[in-house]
Amino acid sequence: MQSRQQLDALPARLWRKWLRVLAPLATILLLIGLWQLIASLELISPILLPPPAAVAGALSKSLADGSLLKHAATTLEEMLAGLCIGVAFGLTLGYAIAKAPLLESLLSPLIVAFQSTPIVAYAPLLVIWFGTGVTGKIVTTAIIVFFPTLVNTIAGIRGLESRLRDLFRSLRASRWQTFRHLELPAALPVILAGLKTSSTLAVIGAVVGEFVSARYGLGALVIAARSRYDTPMVIVSALTMTALALALYSLVAYIEWRVMAWRRQSTA
Amino acid sequence: MLKPLVMLIAGLLMVAAPAAVAQDPLQDERILLTFVPNIQFAPFYLGIEAGHFAEAGFAVSLDHLQEPEVLDLVAVGRANYGVVSGEQVILARSQGRDVVYVFEWFQQYPVGLVYDSALALAGLDDLRDKTIGLPGRFGASYSGLTALLHSANLTEADIEISEIGFNAPEVFCLGLVDAAVVYINNEPLQIQQLADAGDCGDVQAVAATSVAQQVDLVSNGLIINRALLDDDPAAAQRMVGAFAEALRATIDNPAAAYLASLAHVESLPRAAPLLEALESAADAQHDFLRGLPSRAEVAASRADLAKQLKSRFAAPVLAQFVILLSTIELWDADQLGKSDLASWRAMRDTLQRMGFLGEAPVELASAFSNQFVLAAE
Repeated sequence: MQSRQQLDALPARLWRKWLRVLAPLATILLLIGLWQLIASLELISPILLPPPAAVAGALSKSLADGSLLKHAATTLEEMLAGLCIGVAFGLTLGYAIAKAPLLESLLSPLIVAFQSTPIVAYAPLLVIWFGTGVTGKIVTTAIIVFFPTLVNTIAGIRGLESRLRDLFRSLRASRWQTFRHLELPAALPVILAGLKTSSTLAVIGAVVGEFVSARYGLGALVIAARSRYDTPMVIVSALTMTALALALYSLVAYIEWRVMAWRRQSTA
Repeated sequence: MLKPLVMLIAGLLMVAAPAAVAQDPLQDERILLTFVPNIQFAPFYLGIEAGHFAEAGFAVSLDHLQEPEVLDLVAVGRANYGVVSGEQVILARSQGRDVVYVFEWFQQYPVGLVYDSALALAGLDDLRDKTIGLPGRFGASYSGLTALLHSANLTEADIEISEIGFNAPEVFCLGLVDAAVVYINNEPLQIQQLADAGDCGDVQAVAATSVAQQVDLVSNGLIINRALLDDDPAAAQRMVGAFAEALRATIDNPAAAYLASLAHVESLPRAAPLLEALESAADAQHDFLRGLPSRAEVAASRADLAKQLKSRFAAPVLAQFVILLSTIELWDADQLGKSDLASWRAMRDTLQRMGFLGEAPVELASAFSNQFVLAAE
């Protein structure tokens, strides 16, 4: 049974919960209002910044004829495939490097050099190496998501308290038992944080690849719309990219929330 | 003590003032170009370095952007002048951008198809079922391919299009496509050099078919915004006149244009023997032009120069100069700058075939004007 104090606090808690939901919506509405004001006063030419109604019209038209969904599905496919491959490599190599410092000495200069070069510099080469189909875009995505996963995996595994390792050693735990019951659960929060970063970067990888050469995908849609001077459609494509990145981020955040349920319970 | 000195300086300033006022300061103008600094923009570099723009009262600076950005910035008045291809003007005007095309720089459409000469295409109809590399379904390359296919009664459904980005030489030489849509003045030469070096698979020699051989499409040219046309046509006239002079000077003396371009294009080969040869050629051509040679005689002098230089320099050293010479062939005409309604109609029809224009007809008469070209003669 809830105490009187808890019942009194309920409306305040509900209000705070709603505020968390409404605050981002209010920000978005405020931005759209500001955008409409700029358009109405013609502070910026509609050629450069079309009004929200024109963008809504382009969105509605592209949804009705199915073109937006077709392009978004292609980009999503490349994002998911690239994310899976890049994360798999990042996790595997990250774990190996965390456990074998010699491997870090051997590979880190190469990895850092590769990562510090902007992906747009590699993108045309990837098209030549992997062809003009989706493979090049998937590889571009995998490369861009690889590094955050790698770094966070190394940090997560190395961040383990030594007393816990000693405890497992004293219990004569096997390598698998140590990994399954100690390293993985302890490193998971850091790894998942890296995964969240990677999920937002995946859209950049896919779209950069599409900018170089593609028939379908949101990058190709931006180029096609821009070449026809259809600025509202360019904005619709860009907003769809944002929506895809947010959806993927939210999915990873949800997975994190579910996976980390034990941690919340133990903290409580 | 100071008073006489101050009076002397004031006196000198009063004497000097009328001379300073007499010479109007140059008007800053930004011309928006596409691509990146490149020898193909030599007339602009020569116009700056040889003072053609300055004589017309302009201090010109150049910026390189994508075509849609060039067009939008000119349309909203952020820049008065830009260079885009003709189809961009029609597309942009169909979307409410009021720009006017005032000077057709390229008299021939610069797009074409490059293929292995061993493919032995008897006609364009032989392209059926072939894989054609295309940067993407946008821009001059796509318009050119559509026009080329239409001239052979083919459609996209008859061929396989592969979107290859701007990587035609590499993709072609890897054998990923049977033919590629390219800029005819530039990429066939690059591919041939790769083939000569044995770096182009089985390809020994390349052949090219240009869109201009099949259909006359309006090509790259100078655009201005409507406000400038209405408010200051005299300025537009001076700019068109200056560019026409710079273009003619480039056509007449490509060696001088190459030397002027060195200050603007970092990647140009600049070995001392090449520059000495070009300086000598530029001087000789200057003397030759004093005799008021015909257009054909000037063209022959360019061919002679190319022959001489090819016997002295390796192909990679000379490649950019050869690109300039082959690009000049696309610019040269008895009357520079003039575009005709038929080429605009051909382009509009092509865009309609591509599905890029809506139902509403695009009016062409106000898309271009030859008034400044004709007045500059």
